[in-house]
Amino acid sequence: MTAGLDFTGKTLLITGAAGAICRPIAALYLALGGNCVLTDRDEAALAATAAELDPAGTRTLTCRHDVTRPEEADAAVIAAVIRFGGIDSLVTGAGLYRDAAIASMSDAEWRQSMAINLDGVFYSCRAAIAHLRPGGAIVNLASMAGHRGSHTHGHYAAAKGGVLTLTRTLALELAPAIRVNAVSPGLIDGPMVQPLLAVKGPALMAQTPLGRLGTGDEVARAVCFLLSDWASFITGESLHVNGGLFMD
Amino acid sequence: MSAMTHVGEVVLVTGAGRGIGQAMADAHIAAGAKVLYLDFDAALAEGAAAAARARGGEALALTANVADHDAVAAAVAQGVAAFGPITALVNNAGISPKSGSTGGKAPVWEMSPQEWATVLGVNLTGAFNCSRAVVPGMMALGRGAIVSTASVAGKTYCDIVGVHYAATKAGLIGMTKHLAGELGPHGITVNAIAPGRIDTPLMRGTASAANDAVKAITPLRRFGTPEDVAGTCLFLTSPAARFVTAQVIDVAGGWLMT
Repeated sequence: MTAGLDFTGKTLLITGAAGAICRPIAALYLALGGNCVLTDRDEAALAATAAELDPAGTRTLTCRHDVTRPEEADAAVIAAVIRFGGIDSLVTGAGLYRDAAIASMSDAEWRQSMAINLDGVFYSCRAAIAHLRPGGAIVNLASMAGHRGSHTHGHYAAAKGGVLTLTRTLALELAPAIRVNAVSPGLIDGPMVQPLLAVKGPALMAQTPLGRLGTGDEVARAVCFLLSDWASFITGESLHVNGGLFMD
Repeated sequence: MSAMTHVGEVVLVTGAGRGIGQAMADAHIAAGAKVLYLDFDAALAEGAAAAARARGGEALALTANVADHDAVAAAVAQGVAAFGPITALVNNAGISPKSGSTGGKAPVWEMSPQEWATVLGVNLTGAFNCSRAVVPGMMALGRGAIVSTASVAGKTYCDIVGVHYAATKAGLIGMTKHLAGELGPHGITVNAIAPGRIDTPLMRGTASAANDAVKAITPLRRFGTPEDVAGTCLFLTSPAARFVTAQVIDVAGGWLMT
């Protein structure tokens, strides 16, 4: 039963791998014995992440990957297959969170958010499907915003809502061989939430039963749980990691 | 997040004599916890605990009807005296009578008030009684985890079960969210699992045709196993889930996607 937390011989492809939430996911997957294909648009940050997580480079591969470009998703998947023989786990972590009220949002701002937060998930999942080994799993990083909306982040919330329904559809289409779930972080400590905390920090902590921000490590554990055999009968589900701030 | 994730934990599982509860209790034993196997049926509780001890686990059988507040308090006191403060409570005991005239659940127009009250007592009041007995100890520790076995039938209509069962499972979800709010400041997480069709003695109380119809529309194309549910329970009681609270996780193979 507890053996399900072992990823030895398994391979994770994770997008946005240099980010504050994805880096701990990759670190935990490696610690549990797996291989990681780290992709990110920022090559310098990606190289630094790989050097920190796996200095010897024996169980990681890095791949420059702008998730808005479908051909780069295909290339990342092919690189993973060449290096590790296939993919067992896919985590779509690349995202963009910018402030913009809908009344004054430009077409370009809307389009950019959709491209990164939703199109990118579609391209990454589509590219991986043919190479995901049976028994594998996908976890899409959604957001609390995708469930309840988010003041001045309408493009982000709409895209994340799309990720949630994309997740359920993938769960239907890829079953029974592949499980597909989402994780919806709440307020997780890192650069992304600093502007919000500066304005509403005390109020948001007062509304959070656990009374604090979450950590990237805590999101990583939820993601690795859903990727593992501990979650063997869970598909089409979304798991909140928010300290109780939003009770769906 | 190694295999021995629960060393030093003391876990009380209700309805642990068989089915999902026994699998949850056994999983915690395998992960290094001391486990209190509570069941209404003394023979089932002792059998399950004895089997766990035979595999080298620290297990103790407790007998109580969870609907009986005083009996629960006495059993919890007995468990704490043996194993120390309880750090995780799994409210799993549940019943789903199938007393209808056609062999399935009784529809509302056939259901006796006694059957309604019995199911409310075990499935919902039982979770209150156990939480009430265990929470003060968790507050003194400044940490704890409560997990309740709800059901997808508590989130949406499910024709297999009776209204009493659906209402209690919806009630457990409300209790979960409310207790998460009250107990979060004390470092206690409160979550629920919503199983779909899991192959247990309770499920086999339903005609196989009805179960097979569910399997046919379940994306993973099988019934769940008690071990499938136990894995999620282990996650929720483990240090890995310390920022997860007030959640209801479907373990249903994609059935209904509630």
